Amino acid sequence: MAVDVRAPEHPRVQRLEQVWEERPGILGWLTTVDHKRIGLLYFFTTLAFFGAGGIEALLIRTQLAQPESKVLAPDTFNELFTTHGVTMIFLFVIPMTTGAFGNYLVPLMIGSRDMAFPRMNALSYWLFLGSGIFIYIGLFMGFGPNAGWFDYVPLALRHFNPGPNVDFYALGLILNGVSSTLAAINFIVTIFKLRAPGMSLNRMPLFCFAMLAVSLALIFALPALTIDLVFLELSRKVGFQFFIPGNGGDPLLWQHLFWLFAHPEVYIIVLPAFGIATSIIPTFAKRRMIAFPLVALAELLVAFIGFGVWAHHMFATGLPTITLVFFAAATLMVVIPSTIQVYAWTMTVSAGRPEFRAPLLFIGGFIVFFVMGGLSGIMFAAIPFDQATTDTYFVVAHFHFIIFGAAVFPILGGMYYWFPKVTGRLYHEGLAQLSFWLAFVGTALTFFPMHIVGLIGMPRRVYTYPHGLGWDSYNLIETIGSYILAAGLLLVAFNLIYSRFSGAPAGPDPFHGGTLEWTIPSPPPHYNFAVIPTVSSAYPNWDEPDRAVDAGKLERGELTYEAGHETPTSTVRDGVFDEVVDMPSESPWPVTLAFFAALALVMVLISHYAIAGIFLLLVLFSLAGWHWKEPQEA
Amino acid sequence: MSVARQSKGVEFLQWFGLLGAAIVWTAQLIVGFGVTVADCSVAGAGWNIDVDTWQIVLMAIGVPLAVVSEVAALLIFSETRGLHHNDPPPWGRRHFFAAAAVWGNLLFIAIILLSGIGAIYNTPCQGS
Amino acid sequence: MSVIRSMHAPPGRADRHRIARPNGWWGVVVFIATEATLFGTIFGSYFYLRFRTAAWPPKGIPDPAVTVPAILTAVLVATSLVVQLAFWAGRAGRVRAAQWLLVLALIVQGAYFGIQMHLFLDDLDKFSPSGSAYASIYFTMLGAHHAHVVFGMFLELFLVLRLVAGLTNYRLIGLQATTFYWHFVNVLALCVLATQIYAAL
Repeated sequence: MAVDVRAPEHPRVQRLEQVWEERPGILGWLTTVDHKRIGLLYFFTTLAFFGAGGIEALLIRTQLAQPESKVLAPDTFNELFTTHGVTMIFLFVIPMTTGAFGNYLVPLMIGSRDMAFPRMNALSYWLFLGSGIFIYIGLFMGFGPNAGWFDYVPLALRHFNPGPNVDFYALGLILNGVSSTLAAINFIVTIFKLRAPGMSLNRMPLFCFAMLAVSLALIFALPALTIDLVFLELSRKVGFQFFIPGNGGDPLLWQHLFWLFAHPEVYIIVLPAFGIATSIIPTFAKRRMIAFPLVALAELLVAFIGFGVWAHHMFATGLPTITLVFFAAATLMVVIPSTIQVYAWTMTVSAGRPEFRAPLLFIGGFIVFFVMGGLSGIMFAAIPFDQATTDTYFVVAHFHFIIFGAAVFPILGGMYYWFPKVTGRLYHEGLAQLSFWLAFVGTALTFFPMHIVGLIGMPRRVYTYPHGLGWDSYNLIETIGSYILAAGLLLVAFNLIYSRFSGAPAGPDPFHGGTLEWTIPSPPPHYNFAVIPTVSSAYPNWDEPDRAVDAGKLERGELTYEAGHETPTSTVRDGVFDEVVDMPSESPWPVTLAFFAALALVMVLISHYAIAGIFLLLVLFSLAGWHWKEPQEA
Repeated sequence: MSVARQSKGVEFLQWFGLLGAAIVWTAQLIVGFGVTVADCSVAGAGWNIDVDTWQIVLMAIGVPLAVVSEVAALLIFSETRGLHHNDPPPWGRRHFFAAAAVWGNLLFIAIILLSGIGAIYNTPCQGS
Repeated sequence: MSVIRSMHAPPGRADRHRIARPNGWWGVVVFIATEATLFGTIFGSYFYLRFRTAAWPPKGIPDPAVTVPAILTAVLVATSLVVQLAFWAGRAGRVRAAQWLLVLALIVQGAYFGIQMHLFLDDLDKFSPSGSAYASIYFTMLGAHHAHVVFGMFLELFLVLRLVAGLTNYRLIGLQATTFYWHFVNVLALCVLATQIYAAL
């Protein structure tokens, strides 16, 4: 059990506290490099964007509740559904799972004191915040992105879209992409090098395998989006001809590059959720995950094969069948690793002694919705079926079951699960279970009828529809469902806020989880671990002998590293202790650099390229300033 | 053979067993897809690319290589038969990777075959 | 006192005893992987657009020059050796040698960049990027490459200045990272040259 719970007065612990604590107040938050604080910054920011995206969704559903409704004008509707998609994907789901959950938990789960590059971690957050503010300034000025979240050309080109709407989209997402790329680099190096001694790759928690898969996918997928957006802006601003058929260009180039990014992106959305599920299930089933190596590999396989399916989003573009079969084949096969995972999860629950507390309920809901969304997804692998249903509500149903059911439900379950660790208090179980049922019923009611209304012909993205097509009652049910869902989500928020202030004390390990975050106090101290833990399995908190061994080490000063701001590193494959590295303290450079980067893009937006160049130079100066002092001096 | 060289050989087998089939499929996708795009395009139409031959060659090279990758994984798996995936590295780690790779490679072999056969079955450049 | 740290330098070397590569090395390698993918998509787009057009370059646009770019590229690739020597010197503890080698690389790369800029602006006079997809991808690809050369020079300049205060483990890893980055940029230079030769065929 946690060594420092019993020994907060120990001189080594006090020294660690002294070395690792950060400035208080707003300056502390602006200059923080602590992965837990950065995780919290991400958490609250992404929640705010979730709220914004949710309001956009409710407005959309309200407009569509009845035929020929005039709640929203068509142009406003276009901005709303586009911004809803962009917000939910780029400003909520991915930063929440990687930036909030990933940042907070990965160092804890591998037994480290921080991420490999703490200042770059902060930079990722500030760039993300900048990208969100950038896009929403556009929306509030009446120039919100309006060409759909995949922003096809030629609709997105100057000729059809002369205002700055698409420029807000493209430049905002470039900034967002840089943020995610840096975060991905950080996760990969952290997972490779900062694991506690003894934690060889085969003993790494499944959540970390999921984060590794996500990060590798981000590294190889984001460049396609970045280059696509650069091509788009060059076309819009300076008249480049990438997408104009008359001059040798091709509108399909946009689609190929976009989906080359965006299909891996949807696995990036879902994989951390798998990671959360594989953390919650063993804890509440009270047994280790069945077929652990298969589940770990399945996470990586899904990410890898996901790079070879992109043109299944283009089955209706008229490309020759011989080109499309490659993607149909890979799409059919990519479902298999996910299926293996579903079997492993359900078998682990049934082979264990499950305790259906709120986190496990949300994972149950996740499995139900993921299976349904996966089934509708596999139907799209058949080219003729896809051509009949593309751009209908059937697609909208599929991806909402996956994104909402398979990404958001684990996020909600994870919020409950780790709430005691982060706050030191227990959430209210009864309210949590009610919030689950509201969310579950709301999700089912909102998104299931979309399958039917899509099959009977309702296209997506329409701002209204005529009477008499038989679509009315489905749309009304969906809207009612969305309000029930909203109520469920508000109840989750209420539960967490209320429990934050009035919940019972949780202690370090209320659920007897298997991974290392449960061995330290709740909330964790700044330095995470007073003694870097000894690890000999993937569920170290269930290895009593190892935990007992740790208890003696504090006294002897073994693996305590309290001399400076330090954490040990180990070898990549086998987790053999290697060297001790110095970690940087708070720094003003990340927020400064992000500020200049955002301003550079604002200048590009308003076509002041020379000034943009100056801000880019300031970015380079910030980079120099940042690296001028070494981590132990910084 | 010295212990160090033997261990290097085993490591190579482990990585080839884990990554070989994946790399082969990636190559087949890029080349196979690229050939169909070239053949069905304005510039490439005049080159008389024999798409079917390309696909057959890709499968003829790809499937055996992927099978070799599977054999490598099976070798490591049988070498580490008695171990558990939580056992100490390096052998515990090798067992972990091999246990997963023996199944993963089958998936890639299936995709390579499906893609190649599908491409051969379809007439080049006929619309969808 | 904590467990003995493996911090001491091996004889004749300025770096620490380590088993695994340093964090900074891994960071740069992953960064290069993403930048390489970025250029991969640019080259992919180049060939995708090539197949959309019967004539490449399209009629009215001159074939790209090959001789001068080839010579320039050879010179740039040669600076990879200079930068590698700088790292080896640093690792052997010879700081001033490392600095002078970096300065040499900077001068040569600066000259390369200057001449390339001249050629680039010359091309812009001859044909406009907004005239055809060929021109658009041509100038974008070259521009992206040159931007990476400039950033590499910035890295070297930073190191030259920082090494004035002497060599540390941190700066040595920075030197190694910069070396890696330049090898990558030079491979890119060869790929860009290959497309120029291809278009001129």
